[in-house]
Amino acid sequence: VADNDAITELMARCALRDQRAFAELYRQTSAKLYGVAIRILRRQDWAEEVLQESFVNIWNHIAEYSTSRSAPMTWMTAIVRNRALDWLRRPNLERGDEDYDLLVEALPDDAPGPETLLGNSRDARALADCLKQLSGNQRQTIMLAYAHGLSHGELASRLKEPLGTVKTWIRRGLDRLRGCMDGKVN
Amino acid sequence: VKYQSEPLRDALAAEYALGTLQGSARRRFERSLKDDPRLRRLVTEWQGRLAPLDALAEPVQPPARVWNAILDRIQLASGRRVSPARRAFWASLTFWRGAAIVSAVAAVILAVSLTTIMPTKQPQQMMVVVMSDEKSTPGMTVSWPVQPKGEPKIRIRVMGHETMTPDQAWELWMVPGGEQKPVSLGLINTAAEQELVVPRKLMPAMNDAWGLAMSVEPAGGSPTGLPTGRIMYKGQCVKL
Repeated sequence: VADNDAITELMARCALRDQRAFAELYRQTSAKLYGVAIRILRRQDWAEEVLQESFVNIWNHIAEYSTSRSAPMTWMTAIVRNRALDWLRRPNLERGDEDYDLLVEALPDDAPGPETLLGNSRDARALADCLKQLSGNQRQTIMLAYAHGLSHGELASRLKEPLGTVKTWIRRGLDRLRGCMDGKVN
Repeated sequence: VKYQSEPLRDALAAEYALGTLQGSARRRFERSLKDDPRLRRLVTEWQGRLAPLDALAEPVQPPARVWNAILDRIQLASGRRVSPARRAFWASLTFWRGAAIVSAVAAVILAVSLTTIMPTKQPQQMMVVVMSDEKSTPGMTVSWPVQPKGEPKIRIRVMGHETMTPDQAWELWMVPGGEQKPVSLGLINTAAEQELVVPRKLMPAMNDAWGLAMSVEPAGGSPTGLPTGRIMYKGQCVKL
């Protein structure tokens, strides 16, 4: 995976309309971003559309990046995630639901813990530590929602729990997550 | 919609970043993001907190058609292609690669300066060529109005620092593209600002040309009517 400084420099050159820098930015980041889109959309043709839309968007709005105060990959991933979620919001859209059950199974209450999955950066360790502070249900719903773009309703039916229960897990889980992570930063 | 209470604002930002804020609530929230920088900040913070979860997504190489489609959509000058059969330098895509990229970038910059230089009431459509050397460094620009009033003239600005020896001449060529041969536009000098009168009957071809090139010729110009010496600068035409 490309490092942030290199990507930031490429983005600065893109802001000056350097198409070769844009090609290099695509080369370095598209596989990761395509992976994110595929995980949410679970269909290759949709993910291709979303990736294309996202990169056109990135090119058109790259000058705004400097004001966002995000890490460059976070900024680009947010564009892809939002595009993918917009795509899912279209009416009469049916996603296949075969493979995220596997992830539900893989993350029971007593799972080994997300720290083994998220990598070893400081931010990743902070998030992993804080995810461990959550209840298993809170952790599971948050990770499923983020990874696959599942709505409250979809989560409730997947997990066979009442909608209100799922909403509460997520709301309280996020609240605890913020408290825990702010404590680590400050 | 105004989201007043701070805990509510943060909770919505969190669910927006997580992706569980959906449907009309999501659209409402996005509308208020537009003119609420502090709310955007809350979203950014949440995106940062959750970003390590992206490590869970396996990278997948997208098919090449995705990049081709992206490139098609962002390219300024498109639709004109050179036949690859031709071996002459002016018909080779490799020859123009780089020049096209620089042209698109620099033409935008030049367009801004042109509009400040030529304060016309009606915006005039201009052809702009940013000509660069083989390292894609811009060395001169050429521009002309698509529909000239009066005598057709092209405006040349030399920015590079190349020198011309007494036994040399710099000759400017219009390159129509495809199979067609370059047409000489005349000799230029090293002055920073200069103008060249173009025959009126050449204007339609100029406005449809693929690009321009400048070659180093013997004193007096090319003996053959076609470029014979080194191409110092070249660039693709962009209509603005």
